[in-house]
Amino acid sequence: MEKNTPAVNNKKYGRHIVQYPPEVSACVGCNACEIVCALVHEGKTGPMLRRIFLERDTVMLFNHVIYTCQHCVDHPCYDACPKKDAAMCLDEEKGIVYINPEFCIGCKRCIKACPFEPKRINFNKSEKKAVKCDLCRDRENGPACVEFCQVRCIGLSDQPLPPPPPAPPLPEGKPNENDSEQTPSA
Amino acid sequence: MEKLYGYVGKIARINLTSGEVSIVPTSNYVPKYLGGRGVCNKIFWDEVGPGVKAFDPENKIIFMTGPTTGTGIPTGGRTVIAGISPQCYPEQYTWSGIGGWFGAELKYAGYDGLIIEGKASDRSYIWINDDEISILPADEIWGLYTYETQLKLEEIHGKDVKSLVIGPAGENLLRMAVVASANETAAGKGGFGAVFGSKNLKAITVRGTGTVQPADVDAVLRLRHKMGKPLYYTNPVKIAQAFEGPGMNFPVEEGVKEIRTCCSHGCNQHCPRLFLDVKSATQKSGRTNQVSKCVGPFAIEWVNDCSWVPAQTFATEQNNNPACLMMSGAVVPPDLTDPAVPELFDVHPGDTYNLWEPDYDRGMVINELCSQYGLNKWDIIVWLMPWLAMGKKEGVLDDLDLGMEIDPSSEEFMKHLLEMIVYRKGYYGNLFAEGMARAIRELGKEKYGDTIYQGRFSKRLNGQRLDIPISFEAAWGYSAHWNGRGYQGSIDITAWLPILLELMSSSRDPQPNTHHHDTIEYMREARKDLYHGLAVPKSAIMNEIKAELKEAVTSCDWQLPDVYWPSAEAELFEAATGVKMSEEEMITAAERLKNLFRAILIRNYGRTREMEVNEVLPLHSYPDADGNVLDQKGFDVLVNNYYKLRGWDIKTGWPTRETYEKLGLKDVADELEAIGKLPD
Repeated sequence: MEKNTPAVNNKKYGRHIVQYPPEVSACVGCNACEIVCALVHEGKTGPMLRRIFLERDTVMLFNHVIYTCQHCVDHPCYDACPKKDAAMCLDEEKGIVYINPEFCIGCKRCIKACPFEPKRINFNKSEKKAVKCDLCRDRENGPACVEFCQVRCIGLSDQPLPPPPPAPPLPEGKPNENDSEQTPSA
Repeated sequence: MEKLYGYVGKIARINLTSGEVSIVPTSNYVPKYLGGRGVCNKIFWDEVGPGVKAFDPENKIIFMTGPTTGTGIPTGGRTVIAGISPQCYPEQYTWSGIGGWFGAELKYAGYDGLIIEGKASDRSYIWINDDEISILPADEIWGLYTYETQLKLEEIHGKDVKSLVIGPAGENLLRMAVVASANETAAGKGGFGAVFGSKNLKAITVRGTGTVQPADVDAVLRLRHKMGKPLYYTNPVKIAQAFEGPGMNFPVEEGVKEIRTCCSHGCNQHCPRLFLDVKSATQKSGRTNQVSKCVGPFAIEWVNDCSWVPAQTFATEQNNNPACLMMSGAVVPPDLTDPAVPELFDVHPGDTYNLWEPDYDRGMVINELCSQYGLNKWDIIVWLMPWLAMGKKEGVLDDLDLGMEIDPSSEEFMKHLLEMIVYRKGYYGNLFAEGMARAIRELGKEKYGDTIYQGRFSKRLNGQRLDIPISFEAAWGYSAHWNGRGYQGSIDITAWLPILLELMSSSRDPQPNTHHHDTIEYMREARKDLYHGLAVPKSAIMNEIKAELKEAVTSCDWQLPDVYWPSAEAELFEAATGVKMSEEEMITAAERLKNLFRAILIRNYGRTREMEVNEVLPLHSYPDADGNVLDQKGFDVLVNNYYKLRGWDIKTGWPTRETYEKLGLKDVADELEAIGKLPD
């Protein structure tokens, strides 16, 4: 059963959220991606409600890693769902594997079937339902995590890289003493 | 009461002596005391009377989040620790703000705050795993540096836990020991790391799997785009061949590699600099990453003091940028069509001190050691180190045997000295472990504190030499901070005068949560009559109100206040809690918190006008970078006006009954009257 959209033809993974390398933009570990993800989907925040997963580099603060659902073209999570097409669904046009919470029975088979470690499907223990990235398919501005990332270190896999920051108002490496003195201190 | 969003409803009371844990409903305190420091003040007022010392088991560590914490409101990651401070001189109630990720995780575990009391019989740490709170032996982590403590706790309990920890400085009861939550994210002021140590408490570790619900998600998302005007620029690794800092620009042979980083959960800004792959004194690899905020760069170089630009403090509608945006280097270019540009960008270069030449490696190692030992950099980098440099030049340290030749510009000497202090080795190790305020008094303040350094030269006055004492003490046991002399001494009198009032009525250096802000119109108005007009005291009070709200709601000093967005704090509070309060009602709430804080100082520590005025006079009797000294007669008038505007008696400095009662603090007035501490 082919479920690919033209955008993801001949790829193992569908359109998904990617983290850029630090040469493009280093993640600052703020957790905004997780927070806004939970807010737009659930109206709350919390680790069990996120559909994107930030593993913070507690001390060195440089290697923050963001894990996301890859929207696998072979979608093992969908295949494992006993309520497929009601609970775990495919948006064939957009190449999105998503959960309709109304019909999720909380069996966790999708989580077990997820081929990644850490798993990219979360479990809302209060509602006893699986939750996963749906690329904010019904959201006008697209994925909230991308919209609210303050350093644009994540983006959609089929989109171009974000531009570098604009040059500062004054040239770098300036020898002029007064220039550097304008750097404020708190 | 209608459902309160934002809060999660419980405060855990943990008694380390008995091991008992009980739950206090947050609704006992909110919305009246808002959250954060406001709730800390109320708990302390209710539970800790006069006579308790910082290291007594009866002292409490009160940790509070705000209603915005964990909601997605950008600056809600800020939290507060309060209690009797060993760093304050004399010891008194104070607080310290801290960012990081602990507060949000604590709320996910179901707690808005913690009240930690008593003293554990053995070295311990607190482990909070949602509903389960345990006091566990700390044998595996006692003695570790702060970073290694964090990592060990993650190894024991899982990568996803969040911790507040102390380093060896806190364990050894150094009065300037911090409580750290990550690399350079710490409750720096107050010495609460030593209070942890006095209770045999090494750390608090939490895992929370629950949720936090703001009242208005759309408002939260709007605030994320609005607060601090995030620019959404990328953050690539930047490599330069020179180090640039405040007034600093020098080549670094191996290059300077850095990015920007974020310092609290959910923030929408990335103000601090993170220097990558710098020299380390504690890592086996010899390299580490080091966050740098304000004082850090001064361990690298101190030829000139910190400069100041009016636009940092005063704004126009055309040029109005929060500190975070300026610190992040992402600030948009000035709007040069603004007629106030000449005033706003009139750079006040820092005074020349010639304390030490640039050394990138030494500076990074000192910063790292402060972070790893868990030391307050304000006591080390901008007080101890300049004191050593100036004292040596003036020949007053010749009798001090510190085991090596005194040379704060030497990495080896500083490593030796910090180790001696942190582990309380010998007389001088123990002496400086008590913090600079106490060490200098023990040595003899007249010689070791008040000796004039002859090497301060004002760039504002074409190199004129100005007096400054070798000890940068400002008040209450804390070093100078935007006081117009000492570290960050080039700030204008229109700014340092209201800051002086804020310092006077506080119990510590208040600037970390009260960086002064106002409009350019204020600056012009203040200049007309600095001491007799109402511009200065009104500006001080406005900033104090905003500071109370910042640490109650909570939000960050580097984002707010925005003088052109006065309702910001009310909007944050409503988005989080659903409680609609007007700007005026928020001001009343802030006044309530300030007056309760003052009542604590009056009841527990005998605070009076005479006491607080005398406390701040010494430093301000030396000239600022423009040659101004405090006009003491004028200051009397200024204090009168400040007290009158606050509703405080001008003779004693005590709030009147009417002031307490209009703020809903009649019980406080009654208690103070019973002990004779209401004005006649």
